[in-house]
Amino acid sequence: MAKNVNEPVLLADDLVAGYLPGVDVLRGCSVEVGRGELVGVIGPNGAGKSTLAKAVFGLLKVRTGTVRLDGRDVTNRPAHELVRRGVGYVPQLQNVFPALTVEENLRMGAYLKPRSFARRTAELEEFFPVLRARRSQKAGSMSGGERQLLAMARALMTEPQLLLLDEPSAGLSPLFQDQVFERVKEINAAGVAVLMVEQNARRCLQICIRGYVLDLGRNAHTGTGAQLLHDEKVIECYLGTLARAR
Amino acid sequence: MGHQRLFTAALALVLTVGPAASAGATAPGRGEAGDAGPGFGARALQALLDGVQFGVIIAITAVGLSLIFGTIHLINFAHGELVTIGAVSAFFLNASASGPGWHLIPAALAAVLLGGLVGAAVDLGVWRPLRRRGTGLINLFIVTIGLSLLLRHVVLVLYGTRPGSYVQYDIQQTIELGPVGITPRDLTVTVLSVLTLLGVALLLQRTRTGTAIRAVAGNRDLAAASGIDVQRVVLVVWILAGALAALGGVFFGLVEIVTWDMGYKLLLLMFAGVILGGLGSAYGAMAGSLVIGVVAQMSTLWFPVDLQYAWALLALVLVLLVRPQGILGRRERVG
Repeated sequence: MAKNVNEPVLLADDLVAGYLPGVDVLRGCSVEVGRGELVGVIGPNGAGKSTLAKAVFGLLKVRTGTVRLDGRDVTNRPAHELVRRGVGYVPQLQNVFPALTVEENLRMGAYLKPRSFARRTAELEEFFPVLRARRSQKAGSMSGGERQLLAMARALMTEPQLLLLDEPSAGLSPLFQDQVFERVKEINAAGVAVLMVEQNARRCLQICIRGYVLDLGRNAHTGTGAQLLHDEKVIECYLGTLARAR
Repeated sequence: MGHQRLFTAALALVLTVGPAASAGATAPGRGEAGDAGPGFGARALQALLDGVQFGVIIAITAVGLSLIFGTIHLINFAHGELVTIGAVSAFFLNASASGPGWHLIPAALAAVLLGGLVGAAVDLGVWRPLRRRGTGLINLFIVTIGLSLLLRHVVLVLYGTRPGSYVQYDIQQTIELGPVGITPRDLTVTVLSVLTLLGVALLLQRTRTGTAIRAVAGNRDLAAASGIDVQRVVLVVWILAGALAALGGVFFGLVEIVTWDMGYKLLLLMFAGVILGGLGSAYGAMAGSLVIGVVAQMSTLWFPVDLQYAWALLALVLVLLVRPQGILGRRERVG
């Protein structure tokens, strides 16, 4: 199938979703990710950032609205089908299989493409050298930062065209946070479109091409990363007024 | 962990309403502990051998219980019935007057196949639809109790209350191996059980499907996010659990006797083995079952046979006091 180049990789339109019956967390949220784009979603706690990632990825039932991949409707398709269609997803918590070794984690990442396991492992170990030394170590014994890198490597095993990252910097030391953002930028530079949900709004917007600000399950602001970084309202509400001093 | 507490509560329930009340169930063993003949050392070795033999049979059945719990957090109260179905269907094919009168080996293979099919059928017919509706774990647990009752009584109607034995390998001459003795039948059952457990370990450790089972057990959503079809893996687990339970049932019926509630009587020991070994760990279930079997048999050296399960459960309590996560249960690094 020839892919329409003008079609966005991901088009989530007017999503409504939630965990409890009758309580919507997302209340009409729309996000678009173009080919090769790096898009960030920021917002206060409880705005529905992680919920958005889960709903897009089929881990949470979408009540109304549509999710399109390459123009094709994939709303409420199971997650493993989205993986087959070229989406990688890194959850915020519990993002590795703790009882499995690093190598087995990567093997599971390549579950749908077992033949490319060796090649991809070699490529990704080049990219994340820390993994090479830890091949036979249980993922559960790694630090949070190392786990985040392993989680990204696992999601990249199938060579996805779109990577969904749910708060990759959460719970990491500032040093590891910088490393993670650096990695995200490099992954994107290699041609992978990235949709990153982040609580560290400033760092996120600094590397993003475009950004969305979510509030109460809706899009509040949209713009390029740089625009949002200097938007008075965004600064006031999400970045803190100290930002103006810079 | 919530699941763990639920599982322990289930054990308590099995204890109160379950087969413990009917102490008639005796483990395979020769019940000769009181003889004045051989010295204590020889009797201890014999009890150890009997215990290992009993333990590996429990282990075969308990692995499936553990895998089901590990992958979908379901406490399968109906697991004993999968054991009974295996033993009884092999009996029908092998020894029943109305059956085809097959040799035990093809009959056992057919029973294992049937066990796998029953496992698949209950997953596709009951558990998958209930999972899809998001039914809570407690509710699912109650459904397994109902399913257990239903299956047990279907077996009762079809099989009746009369205990039965398979036609072949019924009475055998004991082989003397130094101080201990074992019949060729029991030796074969033990060796085949150990080989089966090794096979399960290889499957889990070395194959793509086995790693996927461990991945689903570790984190369902992440497994789905890796492209694993979780529902399919769960189906494989049910087929595997059903087939293993049926095989354990045939072995148990072979070294002991086939009855309509044999699996139900074994359920308590399976639960104990799974908890003792560490919830959700397949290898833990194997190790735990082995300990349960050995303790139950060794206790007959000093105490009445009727109390052997009580000692096994006491061992469970003592181990959990020292290692609450079970023998092989693991505590993970946090942060």
